[in-house]
Amino acid sequence: MTVLSWPKDILAVLFQLLLAGGGITVFAVGAFVKNKPKSLLFSLAIGSVLSAAVAALLIDGGRMPFFQMLDVGVYARFFNVLFALVAFFSLLFSHQHAGLRQVAGDEFYGLMILAVLGMSLVAGATHWLIFFLGFELLSLAFYILIAMRRDDLPGNEAALKYLIMGMVSGGFLAFGIAMFYASTGTLDMPIGLADLKKVVSPTGMLLSLGLILSATGFKISLVPFHLWTPDVYQGAPTPVTALLTTGSKIAVFAGLLRILMLSSNWLWAHATPVLWTLAAATLLTGSITALAQTRIKRLLAYSSVAQMGYAVMGVLATREDGGLAVMFYFTAYALMDMGAFGAISTLCASPESDLDELENYRGLGYSHPWQAALLTICLLSLAGLPPTAGFIGKFMVFKAVLQAQYIVLAVIGIASAILSIFVYLKVIVVMFMRSQKDMAVTSGFGVEARLAFALILFGVIWAGVFPSPLQALISRIITSISI
Amino acid sequence: MTIPFTHLLFLAILLFAMGAACAMTQKNLFMILIGVEVMLNAAGIAFVAAAMRWQDMNGQVMALFVMTVAAAEIAVALALIVCIQRRTRSTNADHCSMLKG
Repeated sequence: MTVLSWPKDILAVLFQLLLAGGGITVFAVGAFVKNKPKSLLFSLAIGSVLSAAVAALLIDGGRMPFFQMLDVGVYARFFNVLFALVAFFSLLFSHQHAGLRQVAGDEFYGLMILAVLGMSLVAGATHWLIFFLGFELLSLAFYILIAMRRDDLPGNEAALKYLIMGMVSGGFLAFGIAMFYASTGTLDMPIGLADLKKVVSPTGMLLSLGLILSATGFKISLVPFHLWTPDVYQGAPTPVTALLTTGSKIAVFAGLLRILMLSSNWLWAHATPVLWTLAAATLLTGSITALAQTRIKRLLAYSSVAQMGYAVMGVLATREDGGLAVMFYFTAYALMDMGAFGAISTLCASPESDLDELENYRGLGYSHPWQAALLTICLLSLAGLPPTAGFIGKFMVFKAVLQAQYIVLAVIGIASAILSIFVYLKVIVVMFMRSQKDMAVTSGFGVEARLAFALILFGVIWAGVFPSPLQALISRIITSISI
Repeated sequence: MTIPFTHLLFLAILLFAMGAACAMTQKNLFMILIGVEVMLNAAGIAFVAAAMRWQDMNGQVMALFVMTVAAAEIAVALALIVCIQRRTRSTNADHCSMLKG
């Protein structure tokens, strides 16, 4: 048993410390500093997220600190940088949005930072205790963030739906971990998952994995567990939706990917049929129901359900380069979904309500060319058309799936991709049709949102045209963790 | 006399199933919360029982954390339910049906 070594172990978790410290500082400043400058809380939040990102980029954690409970190696650092980036964009989009909707208090910024902390714990956990705590921290922060507009009944309702689903999935996770512990005698992920000799009760182990898979399935909205997604996305403040759809899903998925990569062949053989079914159901349901939607946030919600289907497809091929495909796909997904919801968050029908009906997007391409351009590029990327990051991501996923001999699943995936092209093109066509009257009001398109727009556009195009540096980076990460 | 591990595990699974059934079928928001609470406590029992079986403290620590997290969740949930109850004058989950599509 190792003793905590100062300052090495503290430096290794500097990312998490900066976020925790930043979140608490925002709360404290909000509570105790009177007459604070208008953007003080916002700047503090941005500062803490950016400094955490720099810490994750620069500091190589080396060995796992704190009794091997938390991974601070390259895999976790990659996702930590991604979460910090997503939170940075989300904060940029939320500054004016939150100001306009009167929610820009310390809770809003503080909880956003704490949600990112939860994400990094879930993605980095190698011990079930950390996984559980991160999962719950993430959920708790989002329950409040979704209900941030206290007098807004749809927002409260969305939070209630997420809360009930989240609490039930938290119960599933806790019991799943309990069964894991009961059948292996350890709470350590690598030991319990990989070492077959440890498993005294195979039934208990399978039950445990089933419960944990359903708990994570709720969070990443795989199909039998996806029913909350459209309602919550519609009711939540749009920058929060953007963080929810990118950050929290990627975090839980990163945890799931780690669990599956660590699993023994025996567990893997039992997991593949389940994952296959989930992937097929998610792909088809997501893209077919998206066709019928007339509100943009619900449409994007169903599209994000389908996007998770592609990710599960990639996970199935983990043993054939699928890990590389999934991690690339998530980088692309983070940028494009953040861009799509970010563009929507800068538009509104009236200062109090979102521009949600698809009909109101008529003529947006002429009245608000910047928002329309970002939305168009991100939708094209979500549809998987070149020359965007989404195209390369989908291409890599399909390649890995075909290499792993899942031919039927690949056909289902391609069918779903073709269906979803119709969905996204429908939105783009509406935006560039002439309209008599302009429905959209800009809800604040300040310098922060412009910066986020430029960075996301650059990222989506750059990862689509020159994907090889990112691919090389990810494959180095993958080789270093496949133990 | 020590109670056999399988008995304890059976109790935990039974409680978990009852809690899950309550959380998924009940309409009243408070009943849903109680169901979730029973699910989490079932997990707590399973942790403590397994800790006894393996003669290992990790399970007991985990049970403590589960209780703490459950308390935090209930605090947020009650605040939200009060907020909704003020607006809709109801604690029935079916009365929350503004978001549809």
